[in-house]
Amino acid sequence: MTLETLGFILTGGLVLGALYALMATGLAVVWTTLGIFNFAHGAFIAVGAYAAWQIGAGDAWGFGALAGAIAAVAILAALGAGLHQALVRPFERQPNIVLISVITTLAGAQILENLLILIWGPRPKQIEAFVGGEARLAGITLSWNEVVLLATIALTLLALGGFLRTNPIGRSMRAVAQNREAAQLLGLDVPRLYALSFALSAAMAGLAGVFIGATRFMSPTMGADPLLKALIVVIFGGVARFTSPIYAAFIVGMVEAFASFYAGLYWTPAILFALMIGVLVVAPEGLFGRKSRTV
Amino acid sequence: MRYDPPFHRSTGLWPAVTAFAALAVFPLVNDDNYLQHLMVLVMVYAIVAASWDLSLGWGGLFNFAHVALFATGLYAYGILAKTLGVSPWLAIPLGGVAAMAVAALMTAPVLRLDGIYVILVTLAVSQLLFQIVISQSDVTGGASGMVTLPSLKWDGYSFVRDGKIGYYYVALALLAAAMAFLQWLVRAPLGRAIRALRDNKHYAVSRGVPEARTRLLALLASAAPAGVAGAFYGSYIRVASPDIFGIGTLTLLLSILLLGGAGTLWGPVAAAFAVTLMSEAIAGLGPWREILIAVAIVAVMAFYPGGLWAAVQELREAAATALSQMRATRNRSTRAAARAALTGGAKETYIATPHGRIAVADGGGKGPALLFIHGNSACKEAFARQFEAFGARHRVVAFDLPGHGVSDNADPETSYNIPAYAEVAEAVIDALNLDTPVVFGWSLGGYVALELAAREKKPLAGLAIAGTSPLALAPDDVARGYDPDSHFIFAGRQYLTRAEGKIFADEACAPRENGAAYMHENFPRTDGRARAYMITKFPVVNWPRQMRMLREGRLPFAILNGHDDPFLNHAYIAGLTYGDIFRGAPYDIQGGQHAPFFNTPEAFNEAFAAFAADCLARPRKAEGAAAGG
Repeated sequence: MTLETLGFILTGGLVLGALYALMATGLAVVWTTLGIFNFAHGAFIAVGAYAAWQIGAGDAWGFGALAGAIAAVAILAALGAGLHQALVRPFERQPNIVLISVITTLAGAQILENLLILIWGPRPKQIEAFVGGEARLAGITLSWNEVVLLATIALTLLALGGFLRTNPIGRSMRAVAQNREAAQLLGLDVPRLYALSFALSAAMAGLAGVFIGATRFMSPTMGADPLLKALIVVIFGGVARFTSPIYAAFIVGMVEAFASFYAGLYWTPAILFALMIGVLVVAPEGLFGRKSRTV
Repeated sequence: MRYDPPFHRSTGLWPAVTAFAALAVFPLVNDDNYLQHLMVLVMVYAIVAASWDLSLGWGGLFNFAHVALFATGLYAYGILAKTLGVSPWLAIPLGGVAAMAVAALMTAPVLRLDGIYVILVTLAVSQLLFQIVISQSDVTGGASGMVTLPSLKWDGYSFVRDGKIGYYYVALALLAAAMAFLQWLVRAPLGRAIRALRDNKHYAVSRGVPEARTRLLALLASAAPAGVAGAFYGSYIRVASPDIFGIGTLTLLLSILLLGGAGTLWGPVAAAFAVTLMSEAIAGLGPWREILIAVAIVAVMAFYPGGLWAAVQELREAAATALSQMRATRNRSTRAAARAALTGGAKETYIATPHGRIAVADGGGKGPALLFIHGNSACKEAFARQFEAFGARHRVVAFDLPGHGVSDNADPETSYNIPAYAEVAEAVIDALNLDTPVVFGWSLGGYVALELAAREKKPLAGLAIAGTSPLALAPDDVARGYDPDSHFIFAGRQYLTRAEGKIFADEACAPRENGAAYMHENFPRTDGRARAYMITKFPVVNWPRQMRMLREGRLPFAILNGHDDPFLNHAYIAGLTYGDIFRGAPYDIQGGQHAPFFNTPEAFNEAFAAFAADCLARPRKAEGAAAGG
């Protein structure tokens, strides 16, 4: 293996890892706060991509890629809060909320994906790259588009981390995640914070959708694969800390990049799932896990 | 072991027989080939959903790899029957074996995890299988799948011919076999162990249920029908496509399971028909169909978390309640004379209580009052022989509990429990101005009498019970106070078959021939909810207060059990401490059954008369506590 190939694999893993980090953190925000798994997260990604395309793309409304991306994030935040109200809130007090929420969010994903088919049809689309050209640094080549992606994701995750650590609302969200009853006794508005985590999570999915739509073809079911990858990442890293899925995302991204090179494209997902089962058996709380959970 | 009727003795037999008979006749009257094709698919889905119910509903294992087990059967059939040339008839059961093998491998990760992690690991297992199928295109056909799988043939006759009628009957036979197997399993000790682990894992393990083995067997038993169904599905549609692993199949089967009602076994079978046929009816709507189904799932989860099965049960309960109330209303007028004859011409009046209209028979005699409280699913006329024996010297009073006899049905939440019945007894004492009566309670009525006395709202001259084990702790003491092998379990059952009702009336009172025909006739009038709610509301009773009262001997007390009572554990009753008990210990009526006052009235009446005389000879206590009434 030449140095160039290694660089190629590493940058591929880096970009994948960054995308996974964005999606998995979004998934983890809901998991830690509400204790449920949102299976509509993949559909959120698809909706984000289509919204960005509709608003930004030249052959649709044509407001430009940036406007499309910002609008997509805003729309998804609203959608997330709305779906929380419709799919999760009515069942919050039920003892088997974990199973019920799996079913209702799966149903939500079904609804969103079919609405996408109804509105935009099944034909694949693609968002234009934000910027063209390539950047070279120390023998490693990255397209400027990927540089934008890496920078935006890094900024987003930093901003989210800062929000959760310093902002009073962010700290309230962490408090609710750690102990719902105690937080409620202290006067925190738990349902609103739940809706907010859903909105935040959906907004991040929307951003991920914009980037995925810009690198691959879009289809209404485009979220299924990223959802499974985000699942693997969250399992792999656990949700003990805000940063654990981020580390795990880069590890999984690198594993995927190397596995695609060595084991071939077909075997890579199988390896990842086998890895996920292994981690679940050995350390169900994730590799960076502790028993307690917090955002 | 607890009594549990075999299926052919249960109330589910006739609906099931009717449904299967209708399915067997269906192809003979149907000439729509497409509908017939759909019915075969429906039966396959029904098998998969019902077997999924075993692990998800009964076992509480959030197993999301069940569709993958179905797919395993499908691919096993493809590989065995097409690639290896095994006979399709052998390949179908082997599909079940293949699914069991995968389930066995899955058990290790599932056992280590709980709740959401089980969902995740089983999803990962099914994705792993999917990826293996995709990547091994030499064996499985990869993304395009396997086509032209061999179809079923018998002696040159292809099952595809004659509108696929052969496939229809094979599917029906498989469905019947799968349901028989699952029904047998959930009633077998293994089925109980599976449920015990779901309801309270730590308690079940501490009582000797092996967790690992039970979970493994639950997964294997639920995998086998799914694998067989998958293999049969392969022989029928003759294609094995990796699409089967997709979210579409999962959502369809999950919606069948949940709309039918998890943990009900038959609910998913009924739902398989409803969901598939309805979704086929709206197939023309395209994507709207998926949206409608998804909305329906959310709506059912929100408004009917128990699924269609719960709705059916509610309908059944409403019908049974209306029927029992109708019987009460009819008996009120048509059998008044017969009742009067049984109670020696006692005046029947109706009094309004917070627990509905209550029928009271008042013998109207001049002497001291005796109040009789009847037992579960009986009526005040059970004391016919006491009205006769004591009517001359006493004022004999008996009443029908709410939901019993000719009293009205009442709100089950508030009125079908022992404290509520005690309130009814207080209302009767008030309405008839009974002055410190001697109270006798039979069986359930014994608890009512104990509660009435322990509440101390009305002064009583004495208290006697029969067929009742005083409890200090419910439900634990129920297991000690009664014979768990007996038919005592019927006392808490909402629905009893005709045969079960007869057994219960025979053992609780007397066989029909022994002058108990009217008790048997009264039995179906009882509101089934009164039995079910009374038992589930056992914990609302202040049991230690009753036991304290007996221990401290706060009032004259007698236990006049039948010596041959089939329900009681006499040793338990003899072992309790009584502060003031008639003849020094629980007094057994020789030859008496659960209703000694009915079976052996002379011996009982003699003992009860002695007790009542004993009570009435004592000086009256100051009525301080009861003054307010």
